Order: sequence, then C-alpha cells, then structure tokens
Amino acid sequence: MNKILTIANREFWAIVGTKAFLVSLAVMPLMMFGGFIAIQLLQDRGGIEEKKLAIIDHSGQFFETIEKSAATHNQSLEQLAPKTSDDDAEEKQLAPPPNKKGPPTTSKGTKFLIEKIDASTASDQTRLDLSERIRKQDLHGFLEIPANVTETNAAELFSEDAGFSIVGSWLSSVINERAKSIRFAQLGLNPETVAQATQQISLKSLGLVQVKSDGSIQAAEEKNQITSMLLPLVFMMMMFMVIFMSAQPMLESVLEEKAQRIAEVLLGSVSPSQLMAGKLIGSVAGSLTIVTVYFAGAYIFAQQKGYTDMVPLSMIPWFILFQVLGVMFYSSIFMAVGASVSQLKEAQSMLLPAWILLMCPMFVWFALVQEPNGSFAVGFSMFPPATPTTMVLRMATGVTIPLWQPIVGVVILVLATSACVVIAGRIFRVGILWQGKTPKLTELLRWAISG
Amino acid sequence: MSNAIELVEVSKSFRSQKAVNNLSLSVPSGSIYGFIGPNGSGKTTTLRMILRIYQPDSGKVIVLGQPQGQVADDRVGYLPEERGLYKRMKVFDLIEYYANLKGVRQAKPMIQSWLDRMGASEWANRKVDALSKGMAQKVQFIAAVIHRPQLLILDEPFSGLDPVNMEVLRDAVMEMRRQGTTIVFSTHDMDKAEQMCDYVFMIYRGNKVLDGTLDHIQSSYPADRIRMRFSSPDTQLPQHPLILNPEHHGRIYEFGVQSPDQAHQVLRELSSTQCIDYFELVRPSLHDIFVKIAGPEARQAILAETKETAA
Repeated sequence: MNKILTIANREFWAIVGTKAFLVSLAVMPLMMFGGFIAIQLLQDRGGIEEKKLAIIDHSGQFFETIEKSAATHNQSLEQLAPKTSDDDAEEKQLAPPPNKKGPPTTSKGTKFLIEKIDASTASDQTRLDLSERIRKQDLHGFLEIPANVTETNAAELFSEDAGFSIVGSWLSSVINERAKSIRFAQLGLNPETVAQATQQISLKSLGLVQVKSDGSIQAAEEKNQITSMLLPLVFMMMMFMVIFMSAQPMLESVLEEKAQRIAEVLLGSVSPSQLMAGKLIGSVAGSLTIVTVYFAGAYIFAQQKGYTDMVPLSMIPWFILFQVLGVMFYSSIFMAVGASVSQLKEAQSMLLPAWILLMCPMFVWFALVQEPNGSFAVGFSMFPPATPTTMVLRMATGVTIPLWQPIVGVVILVLATSACVVIAGRIFRVGILWQGKTPKLTELLRWAISG
Repeated sequence: MSNAIELVEVSKSFRSQKAVNNLSLSVPSGSIYGFIGPNGSGKTTTLRMILRIYQPDSGKVIVLGQPQGQVADDRVGYLPEERGLYKRMKVFDLIEYYANLKGVRQAKPMIQSWLDRMGASEWANRKVDALSKGMAQKVQFIAAVIHRPQLLILDEPFSGLDPVNMEVLRDAVMEMRRQGTTIVFSTHDMDKAEQMCDYVFMIYRGNKVLDGTLDHIQSSYPADRIRMRFSSPDTQLPQHPLILNPEHHGRIYEFGVQSPDQAHQVLRELSSTQCIDYFELVRPSLHDIFVKIAGPEARQAILAETKETAA
C-alpha cells in the first residue's frame, strides 16, 4: 500500500505542481464560461453609448412622445450608471428602479439623442442625406412616420443594423404605445381605464413547500432563470473540466513513462496493478483539489453576487461521488490508451470516441434541463460514460430526482468503472512494455481479454 | 555457496516466437555474472523474468530464495539498458522517489552520499533533462543501488559512457560486489565481461550456449590461434595452407589454425626458414567465442556497440 501511495503522491504533484496546471485552472473556466463572463464584465462596466436618432414625423403626433420617452430613458440610465467602482453598489441601491410601465428601457448603456427633421420638406434627397450621415457615423438611424400611420400601421426605420437593432424594438414600443393612445382617444376611451382593464397578470415561479427540521412549514422559494438553467450547466461543465484536467495528465504521464522507458524501472519495483492503482489515486486526489478550488471560487463569487441561496449544497456530496467515479472511469481509459500507443498523436485519434462520450451531454443539455425527469434524461444519466455529467446536471436543476436514480447511477458507474479499470489494467500491463508499432484493435481486444 | 538466482527449465514465448527456451541457470551469491548474447537473443527477457516483470510460461524462477512473485523483491536493484528517468523531475527528488518505491523511507543522507561519491552533487537540484548521457547513467545507477540491494541487475551499464565515467561506474560496481552484492550484468562489451565477471552466460536464440567461469569456457575451446613476431621487421608472413585468417598488428601476426598439432607444424616450418623471436598459442578470447557462436549477428551487435561508444 505504501508503494501505491508513493506513486499516488508523485502523480498528484505531477498534476497540481506545475505551472501548466495553474494556467489551465484559470483558463478552463474562461474557455467554458468566457462568453457569460465577458457579458457580465461588459455590463458591469456600465459605459454609456450615445445613439442619435432622426425622426421624420409626417403625422405630427409622435415626435414629442418619442422625445419625452428618450429623456425619461436617458435620465433613468444616468441614475443607474456607476460613477466609480467604490460607490457603484451604493448608487445602485439608491437609484429608483427602472420604470416598468410605459416604454421599456433598452439594454444598459444606450442613451438616445433625438433630432427632429422637418417633415414638410422631407424628400428622397433628405433620406439620402440622412443615410450619408449614418454611413459617416454621425447618426445611428432615422424613423419616418407617415401621416396616416394609425391607419396603415406601418412606419419605416432606416439604419445599418435595422434587422437586429435594439433601437428598433425601443422605438417600436414607444410609437405603439403612442398609437394606442391616439386610437383610444379616437374611440372615446380613457387610456388609463383601458390600461387598467388590460393589465397583465405576472406569473411567479416558485419551488416547492417544504418541512423544516423543526417541523414548521417553509414557504416555497422563488425560482429564477439562473437556478433552473445556468446552474445545471455550470455543474455539468465543472464536472467535465475536472474529468478532463485529471484524466489528460494520466495519458501524458503513461506516454512519458513508456517512451522514456521509465515503466521498466517502475515495474522493477511495483506490479502493473500497483502502478495503475497509484496513478488512479493520484488522479482522483488531483481532481479533488481542482474541485475544491472551483467550489471555493464559485462560493466566493456567489457570496459577492448574493447568489449563495442558489447553491445547492446538498448535492455537493453527490457531485464528489460522481466526480471520483468519473475521474477513475476516464483516467483508466486514458491510461490504457497511453500504454497502447507510443505518441500523443496516436493517442488522440484513439481517444476520440471517449471524448465524444464525455462531451455528448453538452450537446443535449438544454433538452435535459427542460425535462430533468423525462425518460430521455433518466435513460441518458444511466449510460455510464454520461452518468457523472448528466446526473449532476439533472440534480442541479432543483427538480426532485427520485433517490433511487442517483443510487442506481452510482451502482452502474461503480460496475462500469470496475470493469474499465480491470480491462484497462490488462491492456496497461502488456502495453506499457510494448515497443514498436501501435497494436491493432484486435490485438487490444486480445490484451483486454487475456491480459 | 547459495544461489542468488536459480532458473529451472524456464521458457517464455511471445505469440509464436520463443524468446527463452528451457533455460536453467544458477547465479551464486556474491558473484558477478555476465550475460552476453546478440541483440534479440533473450537476454532482456531473462532479466525481466528475474525482475518479475514477465512471468515465465513454464519453469521456475527463484530469486533470493523466493520461488515466485508478481513484483520484484525490494532486495533487487535494476539498471535498465535505456535511461528510465522523469525528465522534468529534479535529480534528488527522482532518486528519493525510486528509493521510496523500494521501501526506503529515510533516503536523503544516502542519496547525498552517493551523489558525492559519483561526482554528481552539483546536479542534485537540476532537472533530469539538463543532464548529459553519462550523468544520467550515474543518476540511474544511484537509483538502482540506493536501497542497498542484495542482487543488482545491470542491463548494458557501460553503454554510451566515456572512459572516465565508465571507470567510475566500474569501481562502484566492484565496490558493491566487495560488500556482498550479487551482480548480474548484460553487455556487448566482451573486454568488460572478461575483466569483471566471475561467470559468463551466453544466450543465443533463446538457448543457453555458454555458462561457467571464463577459464572453464575458454578451456572448452581449443587453443587454435597463434600470435607471433619475426625477428626481422621486414619479414612477411608467407602463404601457407594451414594458416587461416591472418591479421597483421604492427609487427605481430595473428592467425588461426585447425588444431594445436597444426600450430606445432606451422612453427616448425616457419622457424626452419625464418628467425622467430615470439610465438604464442593463445586460447580464444570471449570475443572470439562470442563471434564463433553468434556469427554475423554478433558481429553486427559489436559493430553497433563500437559505433555507439565512439559517438
């Protein structure tokens, strides 16, 4: 046992004691969640962008409304915008919430400057001139409202990004609100009465009512998009990263030991089974270190953002259990492949199926999150290569997963991992001293069966 | 004297190829035993069976009194033919790791002592990939002996070493032997085998073809080689039907004959016409015996060895 632990200790430090590990520790989350982080950072920066809009209002009934809405929008934006990083939080708390009624505000940081164009003199030349101003970046776009807009129900927005413009949706909302008011007036209806009558009912998404440890009933907690969509994704990606970062060094380590003939020296002191066991323990220990770092980082982040209530602490033990089994499952495959080949390039092509198996939950995560207890999700989470990632994904949705399912998942994974370790051990035993050309699949199967 | 290693009718095949065939061998404790044989003859397979890296298909391998096992005994040390060192590890840490794998817990003082002795102390904190081939071989040797093995197996220990490092390593091996360690080493260097070994074992195509003391082996081959010198430097060796494969080294002529009787006949005939001031009937060297048995394969192996040493 001492020898196994000695090997495990070396493998552990070979994983975590390198600069490459520290770099990948930082880079992996960036690769996985880079997009989300970038959006978050850009939003937090709160830079205000100005967009100048020209309005040609042939009806004469809309310009003032647009101008007022823009002023309101810009004012709320200034109140929300951070001044310095230190007083950011305080400012946000003091600022009034954005006006939920009336025209919606656009994405944070877009200020609208409205310019009136004389509609009586508007011609094709005017439109061309305005278009030129847009091309020169002097103007973002211009809106032309016909005189009979409330009858034709059509206005025209000219801009370079007209198809995707957030300006378009803001303007549409403003002019539609105004058009409604005009029509209500024409029909003799009081706009406020109509607004009251057509007020929408908001649907609050709640979890389930629970019994507390003291026997009292705990009210259901409000659910939001982060807990139901993003959190499962985070857990699944974290599982993927941990497995990747733990299994990949095993491949490299075995390849090095084989290429440098270190294996021969090691096998002069330990058996192949001891060598493999030591490596697996080292790999698992490395993965636990990674997960500790990530969990600690995630918890600190959640604490700073006030998301701690969303972290499902109860699933952490399950996560660690599936992670240990997943790391052992994939590490043993990677080791067997490393022992069978002599170059990383050959290993990469042999590992392609294993990669696909590991990554396939990522291709279907959305379907899994939408119906975590659906037959597809349940079946998929019982497929051993996908069990670690899929099961934690399902559990992180917050939907009650019947207890038998993770238990069966663990049992299946334990059996699959044991079989994998035994088969990989046989291949490892023969392959580690194998020199020359890469064995064929039939040869590998023969090793796997007879050792 | 007990035997450190006992191989009893051992065979090992890889697929249809028989690497070792019905091999029996006894290595007395405290001796130096040389394993010779051309490449691919079964030397390394035999060594790996002694190390328990391979299990024999049939027969018994008894090492230090242990008849079987799945892993090499901690009392055995092993220096492989090719360097087996983690390139990114520091020298000291690497030796300590190998010592720990052999069950040594307080290895630091011993490591320092060996590094000093082998002139490698200043490399202790350097990474292995910074080492020269000779220095790497010294480090590998320290790793093989750090646990004071009772049996030391060296696979081509002098391969690629310069004469100075070769001497340092040879002295260390002889010192181990003086302290009672049994040493088995495989080599293509016949001179080294002759100089160092108490016993020589030759394997050829998986079969044992030589085994015993050097004297015993040499005495089993007739003295069929003549070394002679004419008194006059201008005298040339004449053509003679009994003179085989003549060679010329300075003023010394060396040639083969069929038998000692023919040697006497050649001497009589040459001395009747020329003045000879040196004539010796020599026993075949280990090199000659090796070449005689292994023929072209052995020539190839020796040629490769010579090239490697020269490089």
